[in-house]
Amino acid sequence: MFLVAGVLLVFGANRGGGPKTQQERIDLLTSNLACPTCSGESVFESRAVAAEAIRSEVARQVAAGLRTDDEIMGYIEQRFGGQVLLVPRADGLDALVWALPVAVAVFSLFVLFSAFAKWRGNRPPSPSNDDELIVARALDERES
Amino acid sequence: MKSKNLVKFVSAAVGVVVAMFFLVLLVAEPDNDTVARSPLLGQPAPAISSRTIDGESFVLERRKGSWVVLNFFNSTCVPCINEHPLLVDFAEAESSKPDGAELYTIINDDSSESIRDFFARNGGDWSKVTDDNGAIAVAFGVARVPETWIIDPNGVVRLRITGELTEGLLGRQVEMLREDFTS
Amino acid sequence: MLASTGVSGTLGRAFLLVGFIGAVFGAFAAFTGARRSDQQVIRLIPRFAVLIFAASVGAFATMEYAMITRDFSLAYVQKVGSWSTPALYNFAAVWSALEGSILMWVLVLAGYTLAVAYWVRKRMHDPIASWAMGVMFVVSAFFFLVSFFPANPFAAGAPGVLDGPGPNPLLQNHVLVMFHPPILYLGYVGVTVPFAFAIAALITGRVDEGWLVATRRWSLFAWGFLTFGIALGSWWSYEVLGWSGVWAWDPVENASLLPWITGTAYIHSVLVQERRGMLRVWNISLLVATFSLTILGTFLTRSGVLNSVHAFSESGIGSWFLAMFAVVLVVSIGLIGWRGDRLRSPGVIDSPLSREAAFLANNVLFAVFAFVVLLGTVFPLIVEALQNRQIAVGAPFFDRLSTPIGLALLTLMAIAPVLPWRKATTETLRDRLFWPAWCGLGALILSLVFGAYGLAPLLTFALGGVSAGAALRQVSLATRRQGWRGLVGRANGGMIVHLGVILIAVALGASNSFSKSQELSLVQDVEAQFAGHTFELRDVVEVRDDRSISVKALVLVDGRKIYAPAITKFTRIGMNVGTPSVRTSLTADVYLTLEPPVRQDANEARIKVFIKPMIVWLWIGTALMAVGTVLAVFPGRRRKPTEPTSAPVEVGRS
Repeated sequence: MFLVAGVLLVFGANRGGGPKTQQERIDLLTSNLACPTCSGESVFESRAVAAEAIRSEVARQVAAGLRTDDEIMGYIEQRFGGQVLLVPRADGLDALVWALPVAVAVFSLFVLFSAFAKWRGNRPPSPSNDDELIVARALDERES
Repeated sequence: MKSKNLVKFVSAAVGVVVAMFFLVLLVAEPDNDTVARSPLLGQPAPAISSRTIDGESFVLERRKGSWVVLNFFNSTCVPCINEHPLLVDFAEAESSKPDGAELYTIINDDSSESIRDFFARNGGDWSKVTDDNGAIAVAFGVARVPETWIIDPNGVVRLRITGELTEGLLGRQVEMLREDFTS
Repeated sequence: MLASTGVSGTLGRAFLLVGFIGAVFGAFAAFTGARRSDQQVIRLIPRFAVLIFAASVGAFATMEYAMITRDFSLAYVQKVGSWSTPALYNFAAVWSALEGSILMWVLVLAGYTLAVAYWVRKRMHDPIASWAMGVMFVVSAFFFLVSFFPANPFAAGAPGVLDGPGPNPLLQNHVLVMFHPPILYLGYVGVTVPFAFAIAALITGRVDEGWLVATRRWSLFAWGFLTFGIALGSWWSYEVLGWSGVWAWDPVENASLLPWITGTAYIHSVLVQERRGMLRVWNISLLVATFSLTILGTFLTRSGVLNSVHAFSESGIGSWFLAMFAVVLVVSIGLIGWRGDRLRSPGVIDSPLSREAAFLANNVLFAVFAFVVLLGTVFPLIVEALQNRQIAVGAPFFDRLSTPIGLALLTLMAIAPVLPWRKATTETLRDRLFWPAWCGLGALILSLVFGAYGLAPLLTFALGGVSAGAALRQVSLATRRQGWRGLVGRANGGMIVHLGVILIAVALGASNSFSKSQELSLVQDVEAQFAGHTFELRDVVEVRDDRSISVKALVLVDGRKIYAPAITKFTRIGMNVGTPSVRTSLTADVYLTLEPPVRQDANEARIKVFIKPMIVWLWIGTALMAVGTVLAVFPGRRRKPTEPTSAPVEVGRS
């Protein structure tokens, strides 16, 4: 059954939704840009004036078709500064925000595993072969 | 490590992390938006073209040769209303100078009618430029009004002032930049 | 000062002062009584609880009275009151800004203090009760003090003001403003109770299972309201804010989510403590963390260091909450370090394949999740402190990291309910997971048929199916054994809560991955099409009242009903608010917003259409969670300790 599920998953995972429409491209770009007057909200979500303006600009550039996604992001970043990017880059101090969760996850799993190992070590040991021999001999003696 | 002291050790470690976190929070300051940085300072101004509310065309590049002051404005924003008389004074002072700066209002999220009404009531006869879809605001990275930008005769962005202007500030800044420019 | 604030101001401040003094004396009585087991002093405790509750009710009622009568002598009424706000929103305006929301916190906290005092009235001789009451009094005293000084709602306003702007327009156009904040506070503030008992346990060095089981109900109660409050907030965001989403990872949203995460970890791991006597120190730490996170969250969102949709950013109050946060943590960590050893139990967990182990894994996952949310929320502050530059950490970060955690949790939800306590073999597991696995496969196939794609959504659907199967299996086994009582009690109620969570997870997976949107320029009476729906603009109308001008586009959707997305300008404040219009159905919502600029009597309008699959299942899932929580609070049939936990039990119907 796992095999069937696995095959279906692989099939479904690779079946894309088709090429991105322009609106999808705009939505994706604006989801990764921070609205400059309301830090935290993305340009996609915010109804603020500045966000509307940036949305229009992104829509204009996507419709013009001259720039790639990265270039459009770069255009906006050039005007508004680094804090307009919603997703921290993976270099310098900013990389910590990605690295630390992974480190914490690995660390806690390590703690969990060592706890389990310790607990298993605490269990009363199962009888060894010598012990079994002693018991068998004692039982024989009793019977005879 | 003895298990007896495990709790103490972990508590101490947690305590240290929390103390560092506390320091970060202590240093944090509420946002104040008087910092007027911009990646555009010292760069050529973005090429913008639009129309004034009287229908004439406005192309920033063609203003090269004079000092240009752009004021991003909205007639319902309180600091904009407050600083308006200072802009009127500034425009008057500059009009009497041979190389006087040209003042333009860039309309931010407002209708031409409201702008016309406001200026009719409060004075100010310089050109007011429409900004459909906020393209000019985005080009300059303007998110909040009021903002005032100073561009030199070579078309290079020299200064960005965010927030309400104070008495004489604009005039002084233009004067200082002028001296720098000619020297 | 008396003259300038009038009766309301003076009366309100008097109530707050009485409350503060009452809380201080109550704490004193509780701590002295606990230390010396002095019954006479202990008898005073309930009286002080009544006193502070009465004081808080008085203060809150005075504020409401001032708001209803539009008493503009108070600065707070000047800020959020207005003659043109309708009565309902005016009543809710009291908690629409900082000072009033702290006042509501005081009211809820005093209410909880009184409720706890009543609940322990027959056990006051036990020092744990007195210590816990003492902690409640101390926290109440803090909030009374905050309400008296930095967040004073009864401060005098500028003289001669006759009207005000009213509350933020976003808080004036949906009735949820009456429910979301109070319900959220019932949860948020309610975590103070288990925290108080945790501190009491640390101080006395005792963790009696009796007290633990008893406070578990308080924790569940607070957790339930917190869950419901968060869900209501998401619903509000969806219905009102117009960006078609339900969760933005906004700092204020995160502030409410963090205690929920640690709280959920707690209600699971406390079961391990009940059964095996283990994880006591960990559970106490979880309770400490949950409470501290509520204080930290209030600091982050009310101090102005992080901006957000909700922010009532004022400076001054920030330092109070930061100080309280420090005090809480220093005291708690100190107590844990000092006493924690005493509470540790020598128990072990026998096998990684057991329900205890599953709960441990659950806690690890929730701890990582809490860390991710906390890190993302405060990271901009860390970067600013270290490098003096501004960055933003937004939704894409949280989404990307919470997806694997969510999938891991779904996997756990699939396995844990069928795991017996202590130990299991893989055969047992395989047997019990037989039907759930088929459910999962069925869900996967169904979703593929409906056109789903992408690894994360498909995994969500498949694992959701398995988890639902596991939960339903438990519930059906229980009802087969015990009739209707099989639905009641924490294990079964918990399964129903799980079903709700699964629905929410599946709905989020579907709507996050498969939403579509498009901007359409509509011309009057000309039909446009998108995603299998037709849209026709019928008219653009304007509605005016004394506080707003609203431009609505009347759009006929699929030839059947008219929906009216609008843009409303609140004239007194100069703020524009977009109101979406939503057509809900079981499979997908059609969500319409009106895009500016639009003019009344124009024969065209630009709208944006969002197709959001399965959104309504979020609310159905929430309702299930609420039902399940209520069922879990009811006492179920207590299992006799001698009954085996793995084999089915034959019980005669009684």
